[in-house]
Amino acid sequence: MRLRVPLLSAAALLVAVALVAAGCGGGGDKKGAGGDGKQAAQQVLRMAWGAEPPSLDPGLATDTTSSNVLLNIMDPLVRLGDDQQPVPALAESWDVDGKVVTFHLRDDGRWTNGDPVTAHDFEYSWKRTLDPKLAADYAYQLYGIVGAQAYNEAKPAQAAALRDKVGVKALDDRTLQVTLTSAQPWFVQQMAHHSFLAVHRPTVEKHGAKWTEPGNIVTNGAFKLAGWKHDASITLVKNADWRNADEVALDRVEGRIIVDGTTRVQAFEAGEVDALDGGGLPPADMARLKQLPEYEKYPALGTYYYGFNLKNIPDVNQRRAMAFAIDRRSIIDNVAQADQIPATGMVPQGMPGFDVIKQDFLPVRADLDKAREFMDRAKSPKRKITLFYNDSPGHKEIAVAVQGMWKELGIDVTIKAQEWAQYLQFLGPPPSDAVYVYRLGWIGDYVDPMNFLELWTSKSGNNNSRFASPAYDRLIEQARSTADDDARYELYRQAEAMLTGPQGELPITPIYWYTYTNLERESVKDTFHINLLDQFDLSKVVIEEA
Amino acid sequence: MAAYIIRRVVWTVPVVLLVIFMTFTLMKQIEGNPFRKTERAVPAAVQANLERKFNLDRPWYVQYANYVRGVATGDLGPSLVLRDRTVNDIVEEQFPRSIELGLLAFGWAVLLGVPAGVLAALKPNSRFDYGSMLFSNVGFALPNFLVATLLIYFVSVKWGVLPTSGWTTWQHKILPSFTLGLVPMAYFARLVRGTMLETLQQDYVRTARAKGLRRRRVVGVHVLRNSLIPVVTAAAPLLGYIITGSFIVENIFAVPGIGRYYVTAVSARDYSVVMGLTVLLSIIVIVANLVVDILYGILDPRTREART
Amino acid sequence: MSVTEIAGRLAGVDAGAPIRQSSLWQDAWRRYLRNRGAVAAGVVFLLILAWCVVAPIVSPHDPNRIAFSDAYQGPSWSHPFGTDQFGRDLFTRAALGGRISIGIGFGATLAILGVGVVYGAISGFVGGKLDNALMRFLDALYGLPYLPFAILALAIIGTVNFWTMVVALSIASWFITARVVRGQIITLKENDYVRAARAVGVRWYAVLGRHLLPNTLGVLVITIFLELPGVILGEAFLSFLGLGINPPDASWGSMAQDGRDAYRAHPHIIVIPSLAIATLVLCANFIADGLRDALDPRTKET
Repeated sequence: MRLRVPLLSAAALLVAVALVAAGCGGGGDKKGAGGDGKQAAQQVLRMAWGAEPPSLDPGLATDTTSSNVLLNIMDPLVRLGDDQQPVPALAESWDVDGKVVTFHLRDDGRWTNGDPVTAHDFEYSWKRTLDPKLAADYAYQLYGIVGAQAYNEAKPAQAAALRDKVGVKALDDRTLQVTLTSAQPWFVQQMAHHSFLAVHRPTVEKHGAKWTEPGNIVTNGAFKLAGWKHDASITLVKNADWRNADEVALDRVEGRIIVDGTTRVQAFEAGEVDALDGGGLPPADMARLKQLPEYEKYPALGTYYYGFNLKNIPDVNQRRAMAFAIDRRSIIDNVAQADQIPATGMVPQGMPGFDVIKQDFLPVRADLDKAREFMDRAKSPKRKITLFYNDSPGHKEIAVAVQGMWKELGIDVTIKAQEWAQYLQFLGPPPSDAVYVYRLGWIGDYVDPMNFLELWTSKSGNNNSRFASPAYDRLIEQARSTADDDARYELYRQAEAMLTGPQGELPITPIYWYTYTNLERESVKDTFHINLLDQFDLSKVVIEEA
Repeated sequence: MAAYIIRRVVWTVPVVLLVIFMTFTLMKQIEGNPFRKTERAVPAAVQANLERKFNLDRPWYVQYANYVRGVATGDLGPSLVLRDRTVNDIVEEQFPRSIELGLLAFGWAVLLGVPAGVLAALKPNSRFDYGSMLFSNVGFALPNFLVATLLIYFVSVKWGVLPTSGWTTWQHKILPSFTLGLVPMAYFARLVRGTMLETLQQDYVRTARAKGLRRRRVVGVHVLRNSLIPVVTAAAPLLGYIITGSFIVENIFAVPGIGRYYVTAVSARDYSVVMGLTVLLSIIVIVANLVVDILYGILDPRTREART
Repeated sequence: MSVTEIAGRLAGVDAGAPIRQSSLWQDAWRRYLRNRGAVAAGVVFLLILAWCVVAPIVSPHDPNRIAFSDAYQGPSWSHPFGTDQFGRDLFTRAALGGRISIGIGFGATLAILGVGVVYGAISGFVGGKLDNALMRFLDALYGLPYLPFAILALAIIGTVNFWTMVVALSIASWFITARVVRGQIITLKENDYVRAARAVGVRWYAVLGRHLLPNTLGVLVITIFLELPGVILGEAFLSFLGLGINPPDASWGSMAQDGRDAYRAHPHIIVIPSLAIATLVLCANFIADGLRDALDPRTKET
């Protein structure tokens, strides 16, 4: 009888001991001698993907995982170079003449079934993506091409006629001519996006929606899709017939799909995988992971921001006060923890023209004196506000921190979480009247400030703030057709100033600019690289001897 | 009995229709756009193309009718989000794994839970009673995600005995099925203990004992049989729980099953996947309940009269 | 809510024979007190409740004050449970979290029991066509996905709060109770004394109230204390999906979930709420056993 109480506490103790023991466990496991540059005999990379690719059809893919698999099994026309300029890939050169861009394709591009890769493949693929019947989510990535939007919007009856008016034409097997709606200086490097990859027409027509299955798929990149067990694994093998196969070291890439962030780290620490896909490490574990020799970080093109609903917080002085009360440095050091960069503007650091565009008005550390000054100037400031965020990991903690910071201004913040799909619906535009402040982020599709600044035009579907300024719209419209970089950056500077400058309207207050963080075994650390757009090129990876 | 079974089987048709209707209505009530997966706004033209492609631009009763027709012919439709796959593909490929996981978990539960309950009841309030109840309940008392995380940490990362995650070899299957089995294990142990204690006090058991029947025989024949009735009743819903409730386990152990898809599909508003899996699951549960009711009748003849 | 209150509520189910019942409950209470394990569990349970109620009132720490300089402290005299990543005192926060978790737990359990008993009793007692229809409807409900219910509740009420959680956790959980109650009623209905009662013309509600429901109590007591932990863990499950209570408030489930990623570096953040959940669940189980033995006189001579 007397046993019950001790047993109860014994159980509690047991659990406690187990947990504490878990905490005390050693840090990283085996550490290699740090690559001496020698290539290991076995060139097999085991990696963990953060998600099941929803589609390996370049026309239908919309997410990072699909995009990264695709860009390793397919050859884009250009890739993004280290200086963010386009470098030749399948296209050996290109001419830009105002609105007309002409790509010259290499003659040794081959599909895995032996067919040559031609300009016709691209014409077919892009028009296929725009076909209203395919209903591609990312069709709008191609809207910069003349006639593209009209074809994508076409009623079935006019579709065929409008299809022929799309400004993409294969002049011969190796020449692809594209006519744009305006001079878009970023168009060539936009080719590094997976939406502009080519598909193999006979394969697509033969297998329909099933053409991406491993047995059916025909690709043209450095690797072949050897296996794809849905939701479990993706196996890539070297494509020996690829134009540049001699320079590819890896024979195989054995990928496992592990969605849960903590499990992904555990699989890495148990030695089951050699690299993660950069899909993010668990924020709460960052402090520990950053100490590991396998930890790696890369700059990203992305801005994490809080938007204001201008209808509910109409006084710009209050918005300024709130923006000044946020301690960006503290949020990064104590909450987000992934070495992000404190964001003082919409256009992220690392973007070409950043030095011209940046405003440096918002503080990195909270400036409470100024914030209170602004707050005093605000006419009937709102002291009870509601902050909305979506329920993915990490956002809650930042919201709690900001809630505490705004409390210093005498603003009482209620935090509310919503599930993602519902949240997006809730934000509009226009946003629900319940929203005072919302959190969102933007990750670049291509490397030009346009991609970040056009969000805030009055007709933009991503402008959830109710900020609407004809002057701002005009600036963006003007920039869209300004080919000269310096002139365009000047226009961007004016636009950024209207958002986050000293006289800016502050429809948003940026919090940080993203970084990509990753774990990579030291044997691959030197050659595994994630670029600004979250892409990694496995053809460059070499496994070195430990 | 035969008439009863036939009637129950016939009844499954309206029940399944009701399930489809309720899920359909439910999903339509939840806000959200299946075609907007990221913060990127979807242009009106793209949205219209997508709705046309998936027939979401039709009135709701046409959509419902189409869907029911599809289900009747075994076609659960395309996934709105996983564009290369149909719901049938997903079900065929991933459902067997969830069933396997569920059955293995159920195996753990029966293997460890029932004996723990029986033995505890035979010696109530003994050390053994408390010990086995505690053993079967500690795992249950802790949040699933904690147990899973700790098991992976100790067994896989620290000791390197079993793989962390995945579903390929039998070694991969031990940790996930054990974790998933903890809840039903505790449930069975408690249930069996409770009903055993109750049965042991029934008059007929006392009579049997008084008549001098050996304890072992009494327990074996009379008590155990009657004590297992509630277990059988609980088994069907538990099976449903195990198969759908495996979300956390499948997610953490990276098991490519259906439980995880179910939840993700709801979040992504992938209507066709949610509907397809719901219909499938409800059929399983309905059949399981049917089997239970029949077993119930066989195990406890007293109820037969009430139901035929 | 205390053990006696629960017992009282359970007693309230049986309104048929007050005089006999009061002595039955007194007997039960005496029997319960003789079971030291159950008493100990009840005491621990009450201590947890007391801590949840009192600690936030007397604590010198503001549970929502953010001070990053105090982040991730281990247990100490001023912070017996340490602090979290915001430097907030976990002793106070865990107590507040307990209020929410236990509150949600009892709220949802009572809802489950109420709906389940009514539904199951009607179905089992009336029998026939109605029973069949009710059971088939239950079959359909069984098949429905649980999460859309939760998300729908969330969508209708607008956000996650205490009552949303109660609704979300009970709305799809009463089916088992209903089935169990029905099964018991059907079995009992065939007992001689029930047949006898009906044969002599005792009204149906008297039969139900006096003979049937009291005899399902054994099962109900097990159910209530099986549901309570289930609900509390279910709340942790919703937190895992990100559908937890809104910050800066927290429940044990959401606190444990917050600590999961940091389990290696700062184990106390997940230890505290998990231990709280585990202790509560184990207590609930021991109390259930104690109540069960106490309420069912037939087992007392074992």
